[in-house]
Amino acid sequence: MAITEKEIKTLARLARLDFDDERCREFSGEFGEIIAFADRINAQVGGATSDIREVGGREIAYGDLRDDEVKESLLNEKVLSNVQSEGGFFPVRRVVK
Amino acid sequence: MKSVISSLSRLLSSREISSAELTDKYISAIESRNPELNAYVHTTFEEAKKNSAAADKMLKEGGASPLCGIPMTLKDNIATDGLPTTCCSKILQGFKPYYDATVWRKLKACGAVLLGKTNMDEFAMGSTSETSVYGAPSNPRNLQRVTGGSSGGGAAAVCANLAAYALGSDTGGSIRQPAAFCGVVGFKPTYGAVSRYGLIAYGSSLDQIGPITNSVTDAAVVYDAIRGEDEKDMTSCPTEKGKTILTPDVKGLKIGLADEFFDGLDTEIKSAVENAVKKYEKAGAQVMRISIPALKLALPVYYIIACAEASSNLGRYDGIRYGYRAQSYSSVDDMVVKTRTQGFGKEVQKRIMLGTYVLSSGYFDAYYKKACIIRESLRAQLKSAFGTCDVLIAPTAPNTAFVKGYTGGNAIEMYLSDVCTVPVNIGGLPAISLPCGKDKNGLPIGMQIIGDVFEDGKVLSAAYFAEEEKLCELEEVQGGVSL
Repeated sequence: MAITEKEIKTLARLARLDFDDERCREFSGEFGEIIAFADRINAQVGGATSDIREVGGREIAYGDLRDDEVKESLLNEKVLSNVQSEGGFFPVRRVVK
Repeated sequence: MKSVISSLSRLLSSREISSAELTDKYISAIESRNPELNAYVHTTFEEAKKNSAAADKMLKEGGASPLCGIPMTLKDNIATDGLPTTCCSKILQGFKPYYDATVWRKLKACGAVLLGKTNMDEFAMGSTSETSVYGAPSNPRNLQRVTGGSSGGGAAAVCANLAAYALGSDTGGSIRQPAAFCGVVGFKPTYGAVSRYGLIAYGSSLDQIGPITNSVTDAAVVYDAIRGEDEKDMTSCPTEKGKTILTPDVKGLKIGLADEFFDGLDTEIKSAVENAVKKYEKAGAQVMRISIPALKLALPVYYIIACAEASSNLGRYDGIRYGYRAQSYSSVDDMVVKTRTQGFGKEVQKRIMLGTYVLSSGYFDAYYKKACIIRESLRAQLKSAFGTCDVLIAPTAPNTAFVKGYTGGNAIEMYLSDVCTVPVNIGGLPAISLPCGKDKNGLPIGMQIIGDVFEDGKVLSAAYFAEEEKLCELEEVQGGVSL
């Protein structure tokens, strides 16, 4: 199945990526081959699909949840250690003038 | 196959060598060989010295774990508190986690010594480790060849004796295939047998941590140390109590050979695996030819599910909380887009895009939902196969180590090299790869033994037979720590 450069741009926007025209062209070629490969499953399983009621092969048992207890968690200062924190927040540059 | 852990453990417990001395030997070997092999992307020698001092104290007190004082390594996607963990990606450059992965916490408690973090494909997406932002590692058995991937650095480090063992992660074959390419042992435990808390996620319904070692005996020791339920990973499960007992007796073992794993296979690889199976048969195993038709669809199903999960998991890399951030941007949204575009490599972007596509409105039913249905059908067929067989034997990969830089003829050719390993992840099964021969270029050929869920002990025992029988003995790679 062919995929157009316009569709690639739309997908990239959804995936929070940005491609220039050359990369879009490159991508649409590769993508067509990969989608054709993924389409093998459609040749085998046609028609409507039923709802998925399992996650990772296990039935979801909604009644079997653990108690909502407060437990030890990560310290704020450690979590912020990978950025130059300002007042306990994750900073980004001012964008509102 | 040489049991490095057992040998070192004996030397350490008899005090013939201290952990500090042993660690120094490994550090010297890494300093001398790593520039050529590029197996390690971050060395943690200060941490190793601290770990070895603690281990020597534990050894002196007695009753220490068989892993106490033994130098090892972790893949660069396993979180280590205060030590670099970058998934070999620009987007995580400089990232130091603020907690330990459960596997590392458990090993540290055993007295393990961490030498460093090993090279891998960026975010574990690849079959050669060449998508690493640090450049590809080299195969110690032939420097012009790749190590396989994605845990290529770990396999190279173990193969070259630059670590006694490594932990890798396996989403579609990433422990087993590099183990096969480098001629070492790679064990992917049952989904849920080992906690993944602290493993940076790729495909959450498929990812599993496991050991890369020089022998099956070593794999069992490491597996015993890291397995078990963990409240921090809701998918983890309790495993058998006590240590894994390895028995090389295969009399009456029912071995299934699924036609789909062998159809169209390279003749050298096919005959190496079949010769190994003959040894099992001679020792009293019962071999049966079976068919698992859904195996033919495992590869597209894997790529749809893994990429869908990756597109969701990798949504967290926005440049705000850690790692790389684009320098110039006009809004927060623009910052996120530029960070991701500049920070992720091409293969990772391709898989995020594919995942976004199969999850997007209009295609969800046609791809993701259907892939989930076929996954269930494959699981049912595997379950039925294990109703008649104890284990399945298959090649690990349809090829031996590629020449570096080889990309195949089209976009999917490299994906095809995962054809024998991905069904195991889709089924959540345990599987081990071990060497079973060499090709005409002298490169190792890997064989896989696959078991039913939570039959990890049975898989390890079946592989232990090959070790005891000396089914395939490869030359030791020089330049590392020799015992």
